[in-house]
Amino acid sequence: MKHDVADIVVTGLSAISAAGVGIDPLLTAVASDRCCLSDVPETLAIGAKLRWGRADQFRAADFMPPLKARKFDRSSIFAVVASGQALANAGIRKGDISPDRIGITIGAGFCGIANSEEFISGYFLKGVDGVAPMLFPNTVANAAASNASIEHGLQGPNVTAVQRFCSAESALQLACRFMEEGRADVMVTGGVDELTPRMMQGFRDMRQDRLLAAGFAEGCGAIVLERRSHAESRGAKILAGITTVSSIGRLLAGREEEALHRLLPSHPPAWVSLSGSADLLQAFADALPGAKRISTAALIGRSLAMGGVSMAALIASLSTGEHGLHLAASPEGPYFAINFIGGSPA
Amino acid sequence: MSERVVITGLGIFCGAAQNISSFRCAILEGRSGVGPIDLFDVSPFPAGIGVQVRDFDPVARFGGRGAARLSRADQFGLIAAGEAMEASGIRGIYDPYSVGVVVGAGAAGMFQAEQWLKGALQELKTSPSLLRGVLPDRTATVIAEEFDIAGHQGTITTACSSSATAIGWGADLVSRGKLDAVVCGGSDTLSILTFAGFNSLRVVDTNPCSPFSLGRQGITLGEGAAFMVLERETVARERGATVYGMVRGYAVGGEAHHMTAPDPSGVVASRIMKDALSIAGISMEEVGWVNAHGTGTPLNDVVESTAMKLVFGERATDVPLVSTKPITGHCLGAAGAIEAVATVLALGAGTIPQTLHFRGRDPECDLDYCHTGPRSTASSVAMSNSFAFGGNITSLVLSL
Repeated sequence: MKHDVADIVVTGLSAISAAGVGIDPLLTAVASDRCCLSDVPETLAIGAKLRWGRADQFRAADFMPPLKARKFDRSSIFAVVASGQALANAGIRKGDISPDRIGITIGAGFCGIANSEEFISGYFLKGVDGVAPMLFPNTVANAAASNASIEHGLQGPNVTAVQRFCSAESALQLACRFMEEGRADVMVTGGVDELTPRMMQGFRDMRQDRLLAAGFAEGCGAIVLERRSHAESRGAKILAGITTVSSIGRLLAGREEEALHRLLPSHPPAWVSLSGSADLLQAFADALPGAKRISTAALIGRSLAMGGVSMAALIASLSTGEHGLHLAASPEGPYFAINFIGGSPA
Repeated sequence: MSERVVITGLGIFCGAAQNISSFRCAILEGRSGVGPIDLFDVSPFPAGIGVQVRDFDPVARFGGRGAARLSRADQFGLIAAGEAMEASGIRGIYDPYSVGVVVGAGAAGMFQAEQWLKGALQELKTSPSLLRGVLPDRTATVIAEEFDIAGHQGTITTACSSSATAIGWGADLVSRGKLDAVVCGGSDTLSILTFAGFNSLRVVDTNPCSPFSLGRQGITLGEGAAFMVLERETVARERGATVYGMVRGYAVGGEAHHMTAPDPSGVVASRIMKDALSIAGISMEEVGWVNAHGTGTPLNDVVESTAMKLVFGERATDVPLVSTKPITGHCLGAAGAIEAVATVLALGAGTIPQTLHFRGRDPECDLDYCHTGPRSTASSVAMSNSFAFGGNITSLVLSL
């Protein structure tokens, strides 16, 4: 389905990834084509040599007191920090906007899994005495978005989306719709994911460690969307506009070309970013021969919700008036194509 | 919403009933599914009861290989979505690229994943297929594959409000013409994680939950799936589809207050209920009753009652606030969808369901909760509330 977006702009960005904390290190990695993946430590005994996209440069203590950090899971810390940085980038401080007019939709990958594993492990190893109640609230996948909403006072629409490798894109689609309906003036959107050794063990057992889980990533890409009139009225810098959000649930055998036609724009973009398994689809490469490519999987890793970081990299790369296309895919669907235009062209 | 959205198919598979016909009886007659749990060992916990799906053999239903590749949540979801699809008769009516699926999910395949983790902790070799459904999005994928749905594949995961939001989002996709039909709902199952988790927070009642009653101690957990098929009214009526009801509108938001405790003021909850009515174009006076989130926890029930007063004002005591959770248990990610289906069935029967297991009147819960029995109603509009961890709230407006 295709959704023509009118008057929704991007006014804030942030990223936490294996490249570092912030948009600049991410753009540096993209510009230099530098791989930021690291070796999974042998001490974790996962097995044969593997690489992952850990956000090793991120330290929660740089952003919040240790006691505060303790009440969050890692995904929530990423989301709290990244959404705060994106709001700051947009020039929005807590209280500037009526809380009910600002919301959050986040694509979550393995959010909640780490706390779930630790909570259940405690039970399996020590019975009810091993259960830690404080872990339980953050076992839900929406903990990241909800903790961010609590931290930044976001009382508007609040939704967490998970859909394979297109989780961040699903969240952005929801955010655009909520704004179009007038349910919010500002939405924080994007994707967040985290890595744990147990996940790597699971990937190995499922034989995904050499396939789509090779170089699995964590981090958060946060994007502040705003109604153009709202952004202009407060004099915000407009980084980009969104023109269309298109998606397909899955490809039907024999009708793949028709589906791709529904997704791809009629005009070739200057830039294309690829997330999920989009970089593995030859059809996408064939359809967009001249575009400059941002393929974050090879640089910072691939994950279910790293589309947020990919979109942030794409938006930050666009010059005024340049068209950028973000493509995301999962082998079993869905597929997304999101068109941006840089700056605020007249 | 721009065009009216009708419900042309309903399906359910839960601990209280395994099809719509039985579920209608359970809701209208107040038949609780609460009983002992034996899906896993609950002896270490104070409460050993819940609303578990029984007499279910996944191998008989899906075959050995089929059952092994599906989590318990996927299995429930496929069965309930299948019943809804069958009732709607939409297979072959629409282009698969114009049909979507939206699922609300919570713990999802955690029940199977726990078995993998237990083996891993003991360094035993366990089947990796136990991990296939660990993420909540898997149910949408298997439904899309099974029913040849290709237009949209989405999953909402906001704990206990997930599937109410999935229905709202599905209705929106249909009403504005992005899709011709959407299969939407939710699926969730009992698991050690949620059973131990809610027990650790001491919010599980040792007796069957008794929402809005004096002396209530908390929830009774349940499991199941519920789905509905949504289409635009004009098209559905033209093709002669049975119309069970309508999704008139929804609102969604966050309290931004606390991860587990509701905001005691009820202000955000009431604002979301009001927004849902406004978006639906329904006046407060048209609402006959509200299917409460109504978990039976001491705080939730008081806050929801407070929110009702903020929405309905002096009329609050005339709008029954009922909970169907004593019948179904709290089915977490599937709760919103199960309660939406219960609401539609009750509207169709002209009945306001009873809130079971009354233990006495709580002075802090001073509204009408239909504790004494089901009641006839001429009203054709009801709301269904879902509150969740994280302060996520969704209100649906449903009608005949």
